[in-house]
Amino acid sequence: MRARAFVVPGVGLAAVLAGTLMFGNLNDNLVYYLTPDEAVSGRAAASNGERFRLGGLVEAGSVVPTADGVRFTVVGESDGGTVQVEHSGAPNQLFQEGIGVVVEGRWRADVFVSDTMIVKHDEEYRAPATEAGGTTS
Amino acid sequence: MTRIDRYLGAATGALVLAGLAAAVSAPPDRLQGELQRLMYVHVPAAWLAYLSFGLTLVGSVAWLRSRQERWDRLAASSAEVGVFFTGLAIALGAIWGKPVWGVWWTWDPRLVTTAVLLFVYLGYLALRRATVDATRRARNSALFGVVGFVQVPVVHFSVLWWRSLHQPPTVLRPGDPTIDHVMLAALVVNVVAFSAVFTVFLRMRMRLARDEAELAAATEAPGRPVAGSAVTAPAAQVAAVTRQMDQREG
Repeated sequence: MRARAFVVPGVGLAAVLAGTLMFGNLNDNLVYYLTPDEAVSGRAAASNGERFRLGGLVEAGSVVPTADGVRFTVVGESDGGTVQVEHSGAPNQLFQEGIGVVVEGRWRADVFVSDTMIVKHDEEYRAPATEAGGTTS
Repeated sequence: MTRIDRYLGAATGALVLAGLAAAVSAPPDRLQGELQRLMYVHVPAAWLAYLSFGLTLVGSVAWLRSRQERWDRLAASSAEVGVFFTGLAIALGAIWGKPVWGVWWTWDPRLVTTAVLLFVYLGYLALRRATVDATRRARNSALFGVVGFVQVPVVHFSVLWWRSLHQPPTVLRPGDPTIDHVMLAALVVNVVAFSAVFTVFLRMRMRLARDEAELAAATEAPGRPVAGSAVTAPAAQVAAVTRQMDQREG
């Protein structure tokens, strides 16, 4: 009897929690970063200079050093949208063309001005020699 | 120290040395370079967190079915060792994250769910401490051990369910692991070595738990023989008999 008094509310609580996480409309709060397409479509709606994170791949050939940082284009990993990013501050150790980044900042006109950069690496681990012509650090 | 303990200790030492050698001699990663070697300790630590909480689940279910104390000791000991390895995985992840990601910590789904996992099992240990009666403690914590395990798949699939900074699984995925096979071999050696360390810790902790239970039983036993004092012995005997009678009536 004592066990049932524990199990029934416990299972109920777990079911409610799981249901909310899966079907509740929590996505806006649970998304760690926006893709370029999502960021562009949200720009018109919310132009109040809200800070958010933007994630994607650094486009090859787009990296230009600036006075206080680096300018580059972020390409969406799945949707292919692009956003110009002006990052102030030293880029990360692993920052390079083609790598994933998550930058944090806000819109200034149609340029994303960031001051925080996180490098997002993928789940592939390869020895340098197996990657012919690949970039090595 | 039984013979098994000696063999286990020797095997664990050899495996740890082999793991270290494999981790140092595997090729560096094409992007992360030498930093990627942190994988050989971070991943085994996280794997053992899963394994130990899995054993807590096994011990909890087995206790609920059989009510044998040793299953409760397995669940408790495994949870305690698991908390250690979860903390280790988080710390090693932070050390890896700082140079590669650029941050020690960020509110990424994998990181947050892992922290929740740590706190769930710290709660499990707190619950055990808060319950004095052994049977109640075993039952309450067995239920906690079953329900709390839900967090383990949540941690594992967090990188697939939500958009995260942490990369998705490399090895535990359908198809060929997306890792150089020499690196994979080094990782497997280290997972085995860490598992051996875990086994040593778990055996030690379970033995300690058994000794603790015996000590508690010996100190709490009613009418235990009073050693040494001839003068107080009759009084103690009277008290013990009275207590037994009270118990029979009550």
